[in-house]
Amino acid sequence: MKKYLQIIKDTWAEYMMYRLNFVLWRVRMVMQILVVYFLWWAIFSQKQEFFGYTQSMILTYILLSSIVRTLVLGTTTMDIGDVINKGDLSNFLLRPFHFFHYYIARDIGDKLLNFTFAVVEITVLYFFLRPPIFIQTNIVTLLFFLAAIIIGTILYFFFSLIFGFLGFWTPDVWAPRFLSFVIMEFFAGALFPLDILPKPIFFISQLLPFSYFLYFPLKVYLRQLPIEMLLQGFAISIAWIIGLMVCAQVLWQKGLKVYTAEGR
Amino acid sequence: MTTLGKYLLLWWKLTENSFLVSLTNRFNAILFFIGKILRFGFFIVFLLALFTRTEFLAHYSVAQVVFFFLTFNFIDTVAYRFRPMVVSGDFDLVLVKPINPLFRALAGGADPLDLFMLIPYIGALIYVATRLGTVSFLSLSLYVLLLINGFLIATGFHILVLALAIMTTEIDHTIMIYRDVTSMGRVPVDIYREPLRSMLTFVIPVGVMMTFPAKAFLGFLSPVAIVVALILGMLFLLLCLRIWRYSLSLYASASS
Repeated sequence: MKKYLQIIKDTWAEYMMYRLNFVLWRVRMVMQILVVYFLWWAIFSQKQEFFGYTQSMILTYILLSSIVRTLVLGTTTMDIGDVINKGDLSNFLLRPFHFFHYYIARDIGDKLLNFTFAVVEITVLYFFLRPPIFIQTNIVTLLFFLAAIIIGTILYFFFSLIFGFLGFWTPDVWAPRFLSFVIMEFFAGALFPLDILPKPIFFISQLLPFSYFLYFPLKVYLRQLPIEMLLQGFAISIAWIIGLMVCAQVLWQKGLKVYTAEGR
Repeated sequence: MTTLGKYLLLWWKLTENSFLVSLTNRFNAILFFIGKILRFGFFIVFLLALFTRTEFLAHYSVAQVVFFFLTFNFIDTVAYRFRPMVVSGDFDLVLVKPINPLFRALAGGADPLDLFMLIPYIGALIYVATRLGTVSFLSLSLYVLLLINGFLIATGFHILVLALAIMTTEIDHTIMIYRDVTSMGRVPVDIYREPLRSMLTFVIPVGVMMTFPAKAFLGFLSPVAIVVALILGMLFLLLCLRIWRYSLSLYASASS
């Protein structure tokens, strides 16, 4: 356990080494929230209700999504492709811990740091903007919300891991990742709740893993899902976790067999 | 050869090289291209989902909003790969060449895929513009004039980012912050509430850059606003050029 705590500390130390980089990253995150927030704020200047959402519901969705995002989508696994391609993976294979566990520890460090900053930023934004927000007080709903976040986090970890493992077979790992980002940003529901989309597109989004990164946890928080939809959501997302976990394991095992430590 | 001719030839060569680099791996290039098309298509879907239910937002119709978005995309099609040059000290090699270093920095890394993306943007712009029924010689001239003004402001912003890259060796996030801020121009800035609307028009001239050309085309812009926009564009660019010159004096040639 001690070694993993040290990895978390090292991750923080690494971010603090490049402070300007980290600060600008957080500025970006705030800008992204503001862009979406102001768009919806503008829309609600002319309407009281939109797609079944009140202003407080949608603004809560947007602001909370930036916090959930740090937990679910915050990851350091992006660099795995380069680690493999540069041959740096050899160092990890010699260390006394599993590669997956190393990245889980690093991700925990990343998520904790970004989560802390996001909470502070949202608090500051709240005091400046004074938006009407919806506070969920139902304990059971909050527990479901927490469970949905944990599931989304695990799901995204394996999803991102798989794209990193492409590095075993190709040096060009950024193009597939870019494509996945584009699709994920849309179907995760970062810009808007997915249920405002036309029904066929919304239906497809429910079957993909992306909607369980942000949309599903946020809908759980807003308590806008009937019990059958809630159970269906948990069932589909858990099925995706199993599928992606198996896929990641298989790719890891097969990848190690073709790994040549090229670049060392 | 005239100076302009020399730079045109240079731009052509740089673009050619950029194409060759991008197309070295065709599979990657195709994936990036699909990604860009999807990103564009997804936002159109979002706009349609949003605006078809409202009919009018800040007195704009769906077609007009799409026209604003297309104009935004047309102006926004620029990419950057400047930071490695500054961080590695390779910018030295640019500084000693008999060309303006700013030209090399701005024109040297254009993404050919973005140039390809201009084809559907322009096609869609022409299609939507003809549907709007407001095409006249005057509206088209004003649109082109303010588009050029928008390009000048966008160039100014990019010069600022480059200057910051030289001063701090940080560009990755600043260029993305610029893109995030300008992404507010994906919809007409008029829909935002005050004081944000004025800020986006006069302080960070996203409105002048992205919204004004389309507004002029639709006949929603007064002559005074057009003149103010052009003056603002020129002044902003001149200011950015001064900052660039200052930043060059701080270049540390790190790692070279």
